[in-house]
Amino acid sequence: MEAIKNALDFSDSPKIDQMVALAVFGLLLAFPLFPHSAFAMATMIQFLMFSLYGMGWNTIGGYGGQVDLGKAQYVGIGAYTTTVCLLRWDIPFWVSMPIGACLAIGWSFIIGYPLFKLKGHYFAIATIATSLVLKDLFEIWKFVGAARGLGILPFKYQTPDFLRLIFKEDIYYYYVIFAFFVIGLLYMNWFRKSRLGFQLRSIKDNEEVARSLGINVHWAKIKTYAIATAFVSVVGSFHAVYVKNIEPEDTMSLDISILIALMAMLGGAGSLWGPIIGAGVLIPLKSYLKEWLGAAAGLLGIDLIIYGLIIMIISAFEPRGLWGIVAKIRRRKRI
Amino acid sequence: MALLEVHNLVKAFGGLKANDDVSFSVDKGEMLGLIGPNGAGKTTLFNCIAGMFPPTSGRIVFAGEDVTALGAHEMARRGLARTFQVYVAGGDLNVLENVMVGCFMHTRFQSQARAKAEGILEDLGLRDLKSNLVSELPVAAQKRVTMATALATSPKLLLLDEVAAGLNPSEIEDIMAGIRHIHSDLGITVMLIEHVMELVMNISQRVVVLDYGKKIAEGLPQDIASDPQVIKAYLGERYVRERAGS
Repeated sequence: MEAIKNALDFSDSPKIDQMVALAVFGLLLAFPLFPHSAFAMATMIQFLMFSLYGMGWNTIGGYGGQVDLGKAQYVGIGAYTTTVCLLRWDIPFWVSMPIGACLAIGWSFIIGYPLFKLKGHYFAIATIATSLVLKDLFEIWKFVGAARGLGILPFKYQTPDFLRLIFKEDIYYYYVIFAFFVIGLLYMNWFRKSRLGFQLRSIKDNEEVARSLGINVHWAKIKTYAIATAFVSVVGSFHAVYVKNIEPEDTMSLDISILIALMAMLGGAGSLWGPIIGAGVLIPLKSYLKEWLGAAAGLLGIDLIIYGLIIMIISAFEPRGLWGIVAKIRRRKRI
Repeated sequence: MALLEVHNLVKAFGGLKANDDVSFSVDKGEMLGLIGPNGAGKTTLFNCIAGMFPPTSGRIVFAGEDVTALGAHEMARRGLARTFQVYVAGGDLNVLENVMVGCFMHTRFQSQARAKAEGILEDLGLRDLKSNLVSELPVAAQKRVTMATALATSPKLLLLDEVAAGLNPSEIEDIMAGIRHIHSDLGITVMLIEHVMELVMNISQRVVVLDYGKKIAEGLPQDIASDPQVIKAYLGERYVRERAGS
């Protein structure tokens, strides 16, 4: 009971935050009712998806301070499980999504156990390596379509198909991912006040102290990593039915991993709103840059240059990201 | 009855023996002081007892159980808490939240952890500082916060590592009163490392002296103060003269 109460209780945020959050919630809820282009709709769905990826990353990377650059492997596990289940055995989304999450969590335990023996940069590099290895395996694995990937053919299904989550109009996808977004946000609001949330912040602060307070540091990290994994895998499953065409190169690439981490860090690692703010800034930027510059964007590597700049600016000026700047200004005003 | 027994403990870092064949015990309800010159291996001894790293050889028995091989979090769950000499909390946890982390060892519920943490802060006179970041506080308050955090795990034995270091005389009085309160009112067995002689000689019931990793003396504070070996290794002639003079 207390868990539900804590999840719904935002009263420790300042009034102004609550008002802004409520306004944004209203806008997101009503967005599809306003006239919009298909492009804007796609961008909004991307924004909600990446907010959720970011929330997942934020548990281990933000609250726990373990910079994880391998989240794409779990996008892949979720996406492939759902697609394979649908194509081979006609298993609906609502069944394949939890199966994918379980597989992803299982994999996260297998690699989490050795990975969390490492610290700092070594941990970050190892997460990249595991993700890339898994991607390479998928690229040669015939059962899942190897490098060409798998495609869901929407005309085979009677749309709208709420069981398999196959729709013609994006508005359905929008509300499905919006529902996930709200659940994810409430979960994070509970998480940050939970025992595990406190323990992680203590671990981030000082592992020796955390151990002396009865925290099994290694196990707490593995558990949290599994939670982060579940978030990412669920959205990966959604990605599969939404995009309907997955291949290792675009679901499991390093770019996705970096983008997930970068967004959460830009918005504010270790804060409730950080990942949403980060996604709100970066996703439209990324989409519109692509739109304006067309193929040139990829050639010039403009988006990579911008990511690089952002990383430099965050690490030089405010490691706690945009939300850190807000918090700093507030602290100064109070004192 | 002995709450903690240390038998022939050796901790070697490469060729250097930081602790060399140290044996002693702490009785339930006792206040034991641990003194010795810098580098004598006092903090290493604490780290071994607290399970931060395993000893090279020897045996540690806590509350009747052999705990030699146990890790720090397992020791904490068995009722051993400790403070740290250098406690730099650069994170975003405020004082209350820091103490709550300790309280979460015994409960899953935030409301219970918060209530208990607030009680402890009240008890140690830290209530007004509860929403400050630890790094913003003066040293004396930081030391009290480390004690509050350690107390949050409801320990049987509390290891205090130089809680009076860097404090002025009136702050030392305060912290001494705090330690006495923990020991006699809360009934927690205390073992402390300290360089501030007036504190350690005043409140310890028994003192153990380390030098170059070896135990060189053990006994009542007044006996230790006049032990020629301890004077030579650590206290120095000046301390003895001042004591005689005062």
